[in-house]
Amino acid sequence: MNITKIIFLIVEIFSVLTACMEQASTAQKITLRLLPYVGQQPLIFNEYRYSNPGGKGHFKIRDFQFYLSNIRLSAEGHVYRVPDSYHLVRFDNENGFYEIDLTIKEPYPFSQITFGVGVDEKANATILNVGDLDPNSRMAWNWEVGYKFILFEGFLSLSEDTIPLVYHIGFDENYTELSLPLHLADTPHVSIFKVDILSLFNGQGALDLAEIPSVKFDRQDARQIAAGFAHLISTCDASCT
Amino acid sequence: MRIWVIWGSVVSLIAGFLVIYILTTPRYGAPNPVENFNVPFVFGRFTIPADNLLTKESIALGRRLFYDPRLSGNNQISCATCHQQSLAFTDGLAGSVGVSGKPLAFNSMSLANLMWGPARFFWNGRATSLEEQALIPIQHPDEMAQDLGSLIKELSQDDTYVELFGIAYDGISKEAIAKALASFQRTLISANSRYDQYLRGEISLNEEEELGRKLFMAHPDTKSSLRGGNCIDCHSQFLTSGFTAQLDGFSNNGLDNDAALLAGLSEVTGKAEHRGFFKTPTLRNIAVTAPYMHDGRFSTLEDVLNHYNGGIQHSETLSPLIVEADNIDNHQGSTISLNLTAKEERAIISFLHTLTDEQFLSDTRFSDPFKEAPPR
Repeated sequence: MNITKIIFLIVEIFSVLTACMEQASTAQKITLRLLPYVGQQPLIFNEYRYSNPGGKGHFKIRDFQFYLSNIRLSAEGHVYRVPDSYHLVRFDNENGFYEIDLTIKEPYPFSQITFGVGVDEKANATILNVGDLDPNSRMAWNWEVGYKFILFEGFLSLSEDTIPLVYHIGFDENYTELSLPLHLADTPHVSIFKVDILSLFNGQGALDLAEIPSVKFDRQDARQIAAGFAHLISTCDASCT
Repeated sequence: MRIWVIWGSVVSLIAGFLVIYILTTPRYGAPNPVENFNVPFVFGRFTIPADNLLTKESIALGRRLFYDPRLSGNNQISCATCHQQSLAFTDGLAGSVGVSGKPLAFNSMSLANLMWGPARFFWNGRATSLEEQALIPIQHPDEMAQDLGSLIKELSQDDTYVELFGIAYDGISKEAIAKALASFQRTLISANSRYDQYLRGEISLNEEEELGRKLFMAHPDTKSSLRGGNCIDCHSQFLTSGFTAQLDGFSNNGLDNDAALLAGLSEVTGKAEHRGFFKTPTLRNIAVTAPYMHDGRFSTLEDVLNHYNGGIQHSETLSPLIVEADNIDNHQGSTISLNLTAKEERAIISFLHTLTDEQFLSDTRFSDPFKEAPPR
């Protein structure tokens, strides 16, 4: 090996090492935090504390979970797609909120986020375990129908009666994409969003839960609830901390 | 004088290396990786603990322990007493009977496909791993009533155990006993029932079974004329077990009213909303695992279907999915029922019979190793 080759080798090793170090230093860690609300009130499970939006009585929520999919972050002239991005958002945990941690090896100053509420048509037709998709989970109807996008179960208490509430909303046509500004605090990079469960019952005017206490496979009813998907998630403002 | 110092140093160095060599070299050789370990794609992801990987020796050891009555205080009860292979590792009793002779309050659970479904064991979910589960019945006074120290002493007198534990876990300990039993149980995979063959496209189900399958997989919705047996609300479509995530694999299925409701999962979580919640079991081989429910109160699958079809007891923590599921539109009255027809009930039972896996029930890899003919 002559001296020129050795010099080349050293330069190459040095440049590879520098590139690796640069890569590491430009990786961004971004946390998306979703806080659950029912209108203006924070979500508390298993308590009759929320008014029926379009009728009498109060309801309680026993289970609530939904799929948030295909997260993309946008900067000027650049879009970053989160790989295998199927997140089952649920709040029945110690924190009472849900977080998605992203590590992005790109230096762009992202200012917008786009994602879907539900599961896109292609993924909804498979039985692959991608991200949080799991055909053996509670969110799977069965392989012929696909996934529930949103699962809401609870009870409505009326003076004379207690009515079970079951809203299992799916179907490809109800997959809804949202774009929101991405406000990142300096350090750590946390962007906070509000999930308003009540928006599901206000999509096409205030719904009387006693009138439609259960929505599963009726497409028109499902569409009525899914009309609220567009307002389910918003950027957290002063009213939500 | 100097030469002696040099010689002394050389000798101590060699002795040191020798001690390190003896201490670090396994006395019984290294464990061998398990071969041909296949699981169905539709069962989904599974994990094996990094500190208890499956090896030929750990599985063989676990199998031996599983069938060995020396694991009990009176040397008469083994794990297999209450978990018999021909009954999909149940015992046919409402409450199992162990060393004390006193029937237990709970029904022996089937052991199949334990790497999937709820990652909590026992009907109330009090163990969070198979390793943790394994030592509990061994020490329970009504089950195997064994002292772990005595057990380790007993096993240490058996050359086969000494060798197998040596290879698999570097010696006998209570942790190694738990790990070996967990390893063997992880291999109890039932995946060749007629339902599995149907899923693989090898056979078709007959008309009644197919009707049962459709009912099993559907929550009823009268508004869209969909009839359903509602089974899938708790039993996942491929595994037929409870769900894996968090506590989704536990529910209150309406067996008792508030006055009679047992603590169940709430005993573990301390949360009132989990009162009367029990683990949703796998339905694999359900036709051979009678009697049914956590206390074995139902003798037949017909009894089970009748429960969901009119026998539901109301309680504070009853699932809204059970209260709401009804095949009759605008049904008035206080009875909670699926309102399935007799034909539909029979169809669901026919489908449940397609979950019987004869190969699993007689697979020699899972059978009693003490009854095997000795090698010639």
